[in-house]
Amino acid sequence: MTSLSRFRSWFRAIVRRSRMESEMEAELRFHIEAYAEDLIRSGVPRAEAMRRARLEFGGIERAKEECRDQRGVSHFETLVQDLRYGLRMLRKSPGFTAVAVGTLALGIGANTAIFSMVNSVLLRPLAYYEPQHLYVIREIIPQISKFYPSLAANLPDFRIWQKECRSFDSIGIAEPVSMDLTGAGESEEIEGVRSSANLFDVLGVRPVVGRGFLPEEDEGGHGHVVVLTDRFWRRRFDGDLSIVGKSIVLDGTPSEVVGILAAGFHFPKQIGLMTEFPDHPNFFQPLSKSRSNEQSLMGDFDFAAIGRLKPGVTREAALAELNVVQAQIAKQANQGMDLLAEIAPLEAEVVGPARRGLLFLLAAVGAVLLIVCVNLANLLLARVPGRMHEAAIRAALGATRRQLVRQLLMESMLLGLLGGTLGIWMASLGLGWLLHTAPASLPRLDEVHIDARILSFAVFISVLTSVIFGGLPAWRIAHADPQGTLKLGAAARTENSHTRGLRGWLIGLEVTLSTVLLILAGLLTTSLLHLLRVNTGFAVERVLAADIDLPPHGYSKPDARLRFYDQAVTNLRAVPGVVSAGWVSILPLKGEGGVTDVSVPGEPSRTGETPIANYRVAGPGYFQTIGIPLIAGRDFVETDRTKHVIIVSQGIAERFWPNQNPIGQICINSWGGEERNEVIGVVGDIRTVRLDKVPVLMVYTPNMFARAIPYGPQSASIVLHTTTDPAASAAAVRDVLRKLDPDVPVVALRPMTALVSQSVETRRFQMSLALIFGFCALLLASLGIFGVVAYSVEQRRHELGIRMALGAQHANVLGMVLRQGMSPVLVGLAAGIIAALFSGRLIATLLFGVGSFDPLTVACVMVVIVTVALAACWIPARRAIHVDPMVALRYE
Amino acid sequence: MDKQLDVLQGTLDMLILKAISLGPLHGYGILLRIQQISKDRLEIQQGSLYPALYRLEHQGWITSEWGESENNRKAKYYRLTAAGKRRLQSEAEKWNRMAEVIVGILHTTPEEV
Repeated sequence: MTSLSRFRSWFRAIVRRSRMESEMEAELRFHIEAYAEDLIRSGVPRAEAMRRARLEFGGIERAKEECRDQRGVSHFETLVQDLRYGLRMLRKSPGFTAVAVGTLALGIGANTAIFSMVNSVLLRPLAYYEPQHLYVIREIIPQISKFYPSLAANLPDFRIWQKECRSFDSIGIAEPVSMDLTGAGESEEIEGVRSSANLFDVLGVRPVVGRGFLPEEDEGGHGHVVVLTDRFWRRRFDGDLSIVGKSIVLDGTPSEVVGILAAGFHFPKQIGLMTEFPDHPNFFQPLSKSRSNEQSLMGDFDFAAIGRLKPGVTREAALAELNVVQAQIAKQANQGMDLLAEIAPLEAEVVGPARRGLLFLLAAVGAVLLIVCVNLANLLLARVPGRMHEAAIRAALGATRRQLVRQLLMESMLLGLLGGTLGIWMASLGLGWLLHTAPASLPRLDEVHIDARILSFAVFISVLTSVIFGGLPAWRIAHADPQGTLKLGAAARTENSHTRGLRGWLIGLEVTLSTVLLILAGLLTTSLLHLLRVNTGFAVERVLAADIDLPPHGYSKPDARLRFYDQAVTNLRAVPGVVSAGWVSILPLKGEGGVTDVSVPGEPSRTGETPIANYRVAGPGYFQTIGIPLIAGRDFVETDRTKHVIIVSQGIAERFWPNQNPIGQICINSWGGEERNEVIGVVGDIRTVRLDKVPVLMVYTPNMFARAIPYGPQSASIVLHTTTDPAASAAAVRDVLRKLDPDVPVVALRPMTALVSQSVETRRFQMSLALIFGFCALLLASLGIFGVVAYSVEQRRHELGIRMALGAQHANVLGMVLRQGMSPVLVGLAAGIIAALFSGRLIATLLFGVGSFDPLTVACVMVVIVTVALAACWIPARRAIHVDPMVALRYE
Repeated sequence: MDKQLDVLQGTLDMLILKAISLGPLHGYGILLRIQQISKDRLEIQQGSLYPALYRLEHQGWITSEWGESENNRKAKYYRLTAAGKRRLQSEAEKWNRMAEVIVGILHTTPEEV
């Protein structure tokens, strides 16, 4: 037998199926007629001859079926047959089909959308060459590790690692920079990355146009070069390739564009907690020359260091080697401090904190899908008695059990695939919404899209769900005894207690899942409410904040910077609607900024033991404007700039001068050098770092003097207290600032409420999704409850009629139906509360101001679930008491 | 006439191949020819003939085409392919060897053991 002939025959069988059928028909007919003719010739009457010919041939249909089997087309044929049969059954009950496909699409769509995010953010490797070998290197100074467990890398140390460390193929470093682009076109401030020349090699990427950096470009004196990102190149230069080889002016220095990165290139926004890079870097430039402040072996830990481990070298071995080098560096630095290192996989660093929240969302959306499955299983189980009769007839006609199961599974598979198709469409809609709503801090969000992997995931869960929800009913139907079913007739169509019990369990399961989801969603909501109500220590209403970034030209001297801020504040106070104005180096909620040791005379200052405070440079009027209460003493005035005075937070006052008047006390700060300052005021504690982080110690200074270079912040924020909606003053504020100096860019201008809202966006995102999933679950569960109770009332019309005829009161019947409907709900609710007790702990890190088990939340969820379930039972129960006994008894 | 024998399990394919090897035939013709050669001593279930034909064709041993029957009607004629010829040969050899062995066994007398 040749495979070609087999294929040809099979191919013909499929492609020309109808022709084959008619040929087979003709051939068999010819046989019977030829035989009959022979019989007639031998003297048999025509009618009798035809009858005998047919009789002796045997079962024609069976022969045909066997012939088809021989063709090897049976599998395909049965598939087509099952498919048509399944479609017919679905068409026959359009209501059921619509509900089933709709809920499935919802479940599959939501899962696919969330999975796309998880896929991009958590599962998809970084788009670098063998990203699993990439590690982030950080430094540790044990003496200060109480306050700073780990530090970013330092430039001189990096140069030593590059020379000494054999465990790494290569090590690269990068730091965020921001520069002024001038020259052709409008001047703008652009964010980029300053990196070692080998960074692209470490990551295993190379520019699509031009080249990367040359090793010598890490050293000064080789001219300035820059590599542009695709996004920036398209935006600023309209994708003009001729820019390569030309120069652009960055911070007043011409830099030659040597390469353009691929559109798919992506640099992590956050590497660990210490180094934050721009969302979309515009350019990369090499280290060039070390700056003056980058010479110290023990200072300015500003760089993210990424190393590529050599194949076969373990993480432990690499760390051990690094620590040997670190010890040498510490010895060389000779500052009485030790130096260690730690390394962590880059991927974990980039994904980091988002992992738990996303996994929670994935679990939540998975629970919704499970509820969808349970609901559909329930719906299908409700149809079991009716289908049982049909299945019995078909079994009696010779269908095997396997055929029955296959056909029933095919039906659910069809539902699954229809739901899946619709679900993918819904997922693409939902994903748009998700990406719009998701917090920008979610890493690699811009890489989220629906790809082949997502599609196969959708198909996979469609098939999986169909098997889950279709399997049980199919098994029940196929294992029914056909004879018994047929004998019982209509009676068999009522549900038996076994099926009803099973459906009770399924309802219980749905309620359990919904309860858990709602409780968790409730906890997240409570957390957010707590967080938004938290006393920030400053005012957010009617306060506008403008972030200013001064360009280097014209503002290289600290005096010029201070002058600009002061002048801006003075001019802004004149704007109508502005009550007061002030400026500060870093706004509250913007995280930790500059830090300083704090000590008092008499207490010796020792690094690692003295408290560390955040310091801010503030202009006069700042506290009043942003609503930080002045508890004692006075605010800064302009003449304070020349004096050694500070204002401290209440926390510092309580730490150093409990039960004493802090005003007039001396405080020693070390910013760039030790400085003795007189405390002239005490202000309230504020949430400096994040909304959910307790206030840290704060020191405010009008200026700093002891540093070698007097310090005036290059960037600062101007705050304004307005009489009306702060957003309304935005245009006027921009106007004033532009008039003052058109070259100074306003980086951001928004009300403080927006800043607060931005700081909770991750939580808000998690909470909205958890609430959506929770209520989806509740809706589905109530549909399930409704379906079960309504169906059972329908099935028991006969029984209810008899009860009513025998004198049962409406209240009795109503009570009975409600009791039966509610008992699985109550069991599920109890189970759900217990489950929430445990699952609450899993999301404990996502909570704020509320324990992982909150009685109030639980009580609210109980009320919601019982109310909804009662409503779902009530509607069909009402129908039960309106059963007319006479009609019900006749109904068969 | 002796009582008709049922076709031995597995020999129908060989009989069909043999019948066709004598010249192209339609289904009914194959039935008649086998009966004719066997002098009506073999009984073939008419319904089982066609699945066998479809099987042989699927395996590439016979091929079919539509033609005119003796009484001018359209009928499907089967012909042996080259592969079919070889198959018939090997089947026949196998059968003969088998028959020889069986006959030998059946003719064994007590003295020969």
